[in-house]
Amino acid sequence: MDVIVCVKQIPDPETKLRVAASGKSYDPDGVKFTIVNTYDEATVEEALRMKEEFGFGAVRTVTVGPARSEEALRHTLAMGADEAVLVETPPNAVLDPLLVARILSAVIKDMPHDLVMVGKHAQDDEAGQVGSALGEYLGLPSYAFVTGLTPDSGAHVLKMARYVEGGEEAFGGPFPAVVSLLKGVKDPRTPTLPNILKARKKPLKKIPLPEALAKVGALPGAGNPTSETLAFTLPPPRAGAKMIEGQTPEEQVEKLLKSLKEEAKVL
Amino acid sequence: MTLNIIVVTDQRDGTLKGASRESLSEARRVVARAGGGDVVACLVGHNLGKAAEEARHSGASRVLVVDDEKLKAFSAAGYAHAVGLVAAKVPAPHVFLAPDTTMGRELLPRLGARIGGSVATAVTSIAPEADGSLTVQRKVFGGRATETLRLRGTPVITLRPNAFGIDASPASDPPVENVPLGDLPAVAQGVQVTNFTSTRGDTPDLTEAQIVVSGGRGMKTAENFVLVENLAKTLGAAVGASRAVVDAGWRPASFQVGQTGKTVQPQLYLAFGISGAIQHLVGITNSRCIVAVNKDPAAPIFKVADYGVVGDAMTVLPLLTKALTKQ
Repeated sequence: MDVIVCVKQIPDPETKLRVAASGKSYDPDGVKFTIVNTYDEATVEEALRMKEEFGFGAVRTVTVGPARSEEALRHTLAMGADEAVLVETPPNAVLDPLLVARILSAVIKDMPHDLVMVGKHAQDDEAGQVGSALGEYLGLPSYAFVTGLTPDSGAHVLKMARYVEGGEEAFGGPFPAVVSLLKGVKDPRTPTLPNILKARKKPLKKIPLPEALAKVGALPGAGNPTSETLAFTLPPPRAGAKMIEGQTPEEQVEKLLKSLKEEAKVL
Repeated sequence: MTLNIIVVTDQRDGTLKGASRESLSEARRVVARAGGGDVVACLVGHNLGKAAEEARHSGASRVLVVDDEKLKAFSAAGYAHAVGLVAAKVPAPHVFLAPDTTMGRELLPRLGARIGGSVATAVTSIAPEADGSLTVQRKVFGGRATETLRLRGTPVITLRPNAFGIDASPASDPPVENVPLGDLPAVAQGVQVTNFTSTRGDTPDLTEAQIVVSGGRGMKTAENFVLVENLAKTLGAAVGASRAVVDAGWRPASFQVGQTGKTVQPQLYLAFGISGAIQHLVGITNSRCIVAVNKDPAAPIFKVADYGVVGDAMTVLPLLTKALTKQ
C-alpha cells in the first residue's frame, strides 16, 4: 500500500504581512516561512503512523511551490517519508487551487497511489479545495474532515471518523481514495538529528512547472475555469480593546452589558 | 444579465440548517442585483420531505430534490453527481452556492472540478458584474487579510455562515420537483456511516453558534469551567476552550478554538482568562465582536478584542450570568 501526502509551505502564522507591489498577494520578502503547513504535517504523521502499524509500502510527499519549498519536503523526509517530488513554480506565482489540484493529479497519476492524503486546508489561502478536487481529477472517492483512519486491506475499505457539525461520524468507504485530514491520531514527530542528515540523501525529484503543465492538458469545462485574484488587502490596524473601567466588578459588568447592547448591538 | 443560482442546501440532520436559509437569502439578493433569474434550492440526500417543505418557504423560486436511499451516507462524489442531475434541469448560466459547512466545503470543490467551474470558499461578499462574472471577497491568513477574486465561467461558491444574514422570505410557494437519481456512479458507491456520536449536548455547535463563551487557563481548574457553562446556558451560547485547557484535560478536544481546533464566526465571542496566543486568535478573528476578560492588562487578547475588562474571570463570570438572568 503506497501513500502520497500533498504538503505546502506557508508563511509562519506570526509573521508580519505586507502587500506585494502587485497588490494581489503578500510580499514574500522578509517573510519567515513555516517548515510546513500544520495540517499537512499532521497528515504526514498519520501516513507514517499507518506505515509503521500496518506495514505499508512507501510514503511519498509532493508539493507545488517555489524553490524554497524543498525545505518543507526535506522536513517530511526527515520525519520518515521515503521520497519527495517538488513541482517548482516561479517565486511569486499565485496559482488557483483547482489548478494546483490539477497539477498534483497529473504528477500523482505517474506514481503508485493506494491512498492520497492532504491536510484540510493551508493556513495561508485557507481555500480547502485541493483534496476534493483531486478526488474528481483522479477519478477516486474523496473523504474530508477526517480525524483518523484505519485501512482494512483485505476488504479494500478505509474505516474513518469525520467531524460534522454537532458531532463525529464513524464511516467506511473504499480505497484507493483521497483523504483530507482535520487531525491525526498522534502529534507530529520531531525529526532526530540522524534522520535530518539521512533526509539530505533521500530522493527528491524536481519537475519544472511548464513540464507539469504539459502533463495537465486542457482543463475540463467551458470558459475560464479558474479564479483571478484582483486584490490582496490588509484591514486597518485594530485600535485595541475599549477598556471597561469601574470602581467595582459590578460596575464594570453593568457598563460592559450596556456597551454590548447599545453600541455593538450584539445582545 | 440574468443568473440562475443553484443553492445546494445542507440538511444533514433532516432540517434545513440556518446557514442554508442564509445561502438562499443571499442568492435572492444576488439575483436581484444581477437583473433577475431563478433561485433554485437543490436538496440531495435521503428522507428530505421536511427539509424540502422548509426550502419552499425560504426564498427559493424552484425546489429540486434528489431523494434516494443510496444517498443516505454523504459522499462528495455521489452528491456532486446528484447536483449535476439537478443542474441539467435548470437553464444556464449557472451559479452554484452552498453554505460553508463541512458538507458544503467538501462538496463544492469537487463539483467545481467536475464542471470546470471557478471556485471560491468561505466568501463574505458577492457582487455581480455586468459581464455575468462575480466579484467575491474572502478572508485569508486567519482573518488577517482579505482576498478579492473574480470568478468567470460558472462560479462555484461556499458562503461563510453568519456573514450575510437571512431576510424574511417573500410569499413564493414553488412545488417540489423530484429528480430521479438512477444508479450512483461506481466512484460514489460503498460509503457507509456506522455510528454518530453527538457532541452537541444542550448548547449549539461551536462553528454555527451566534454567541461563544470560551475559557482559558485563567479558569484555574476544570471545576471552575461550570462558570463558563452557566453563562453559555444563560445566553444560549456554545462553549469553547483554549488549547491550554484542552492540554490540561479540563475539556475534550472538541471544545478547542484556534489553529488546531475550530474556527468560530459568532456575532459575539466572550473570552475569559484567555491570554490570546496567536494560535487561538486565528480561530476567533472572524467574530463580529470580541470581549476579553483577563487579569493581565498586557494580555495580547486585548489587542484584538473590541471590549476589554481587566479583572478576575472567576468574579466577572458569575456577575455577568446574574445580570443577564435578571433581565
